[in-house]
Amino acid sequence: MFGYVLPLRDELKVREMRQFQAAYCGLCGALSRHYGFAARFILNYDFTFLAMLLSCREAEPSYGVCRCPAHPFRKRRCCKETAAFADAAGYSVILAWWKLQDAIRDNGFFRTLPARLGAFFLGAAYHRAAAAYPKYAEACKAQLDRLQALEAADGDGLDLTADTFACILKAAAENGQGEDKRILEQLLYHVGRWIYILDACDDLEADFKTAAYNPLKGRFGLVEGVLSPEDKTWLQTTLAHSANLAASAYALLPARAWDGILQNILYLGLPGATRLVLEGKWRRAKRCPGEPEMHTSFNS
Amino acid sequence: MSEPYSVLGVSENASDEEVKKAYRELARKYHPDNYQDNPLADLAQDKMKQINQAYDTIMKRRGGGGDGYNGGEHGGYGRAGAQSTGRFGQIRTAINAGDLSQAEQLLNAEENRNAEWHFLYGSLCYRKGWLDEARRYYQRAVQMDPTNREYRQALDYMNRGGYAYRTGGAAGMESEMCDCCTTLMCMNCLCGGFR
Repeated sequence: MFGYVLPLRDELKVREMRQFQAAYCGLCGALSRHYGFAARFILNYDFTFLAMLLSCREAEPSYGVCRCPAHPFRKRRCCKETAAFADAAGYSVILAWWKLQDAIRDNGFFRTLPARLGAFFLGAAYHRAAAAYPKYAEACKAQLDRLQALEAADGDGLDLTADTFACILKAAAENGQGEDKRILEQLLYHVGRWIYILDACDDLEADFKTAAYNPLKGRFGLVEGVLSPEDKTWLQTTLAHSANLAASAYALLPARAWDGILQNILYLGLPGATRLVLEGKWRRAKRCPGEPEMHTSFNS
Repeated sequence: MSEPYSVLGVSENASDEEVKKAYRELARKYHPDNYQDNPLADLAQDKMKQINQAYDTIMKRRGGGGDGYNGGEHGGYGRAGAQSTGRFGQIRTAINAGDLSQAEQLLNAEENRNAEWHFLYGSLCYRKGWLDEARRYYQRAVQMDPTNREYRQALDYMNRGGYAYRTGGAAGMESEMCDCCTTLMCMNCLCGGFR
């Protein structure tokens, strides 16, 4: 589910790449300070994107230096914690916890052992985060229950199931004010919808092998884990449409901090990931990021 | 009104050509086509007004005429096109005002499930972000009433995936080539310098 919201690195300025890394390290620090050491392990670029997005009205971030447990011999540059980063840390812990619960409910005991271990170690962090952000924790639980019910019913609605995850991401805009809240809600809704559908495309073959739920099966009436060219074209279109709606919402924010990186992610990263997943090249691109043909051109 | 130069994102010393280029880029970004039937269309329209005002102010100060694109005046931000009467009129108003739960209630209560009903239900789905369902309803509306231009346009819009604003996309050929040469020159100097 996570790991698709990435910038197109070739088009990032070196300065922006370093800032992005500093944001990643900054979020890690915030997770550890508020929620303990175990919380660091849930860190990913999607949560970093959320932290940068929630910060976008703030002034330029200030940077400090921190020690990284994964790189003990060298100090890392990290951005100083702000209210937005603290919020993003809380939402990330809650989201990660509920994704683990979802994985546990889905499968048998042994297959879910890693998820069960993860949930065990994250338990204390989750309770602290849920106490700090009770509305968000409630929203997550409610939407994931709704998703479970829809999966059990195994209908043919793609938007209906995507809506559950989209609403979870949208709820992270709860602290926004006025117009900002409307804009962030639309942006996060469509990023959430994009993530859900793209994840379904990426996992289609594996889900057929393990007989797991996948919304594309019912939507396109598939009997094997392969999409027809017409289905792929429509998926490409609807994913691009969600990405366009997210980007056009972002354009309405008078963004200050992290603007270059966020624009890269929304205008270049999301379309690039869509293309790679639908062409079946996503996993290879992640393993070999240096290969030029793996990257979308500026104008595609 | 806040400083017009900062609205356009150019410095006060920018040339007329630079100001025009910045204005065109912003007009492309906030163009009504990018916000067709969008719940945030009102915010885009406000933004476009600000940009037009800023451009006109700068041009007047510099003694030129304002030739700003008055996209907002063409009413392209909302689907203001067709009118409906009676209950469908109420539903249309509710959708355009963003009162989606009211619109949904009225649509579910409506027994006459004609082409217009399907079109309006599609619009409701679009506003909720249910793009796949929206296309399905628009397809049904076009099937039931193939002559209606509004339904056909809505379906075409979905099949195109909306409109995509791309940064640095449709720049003029000349400026692209100049940028390319300048870039190569700079790289040559820099790489020479670093050796």
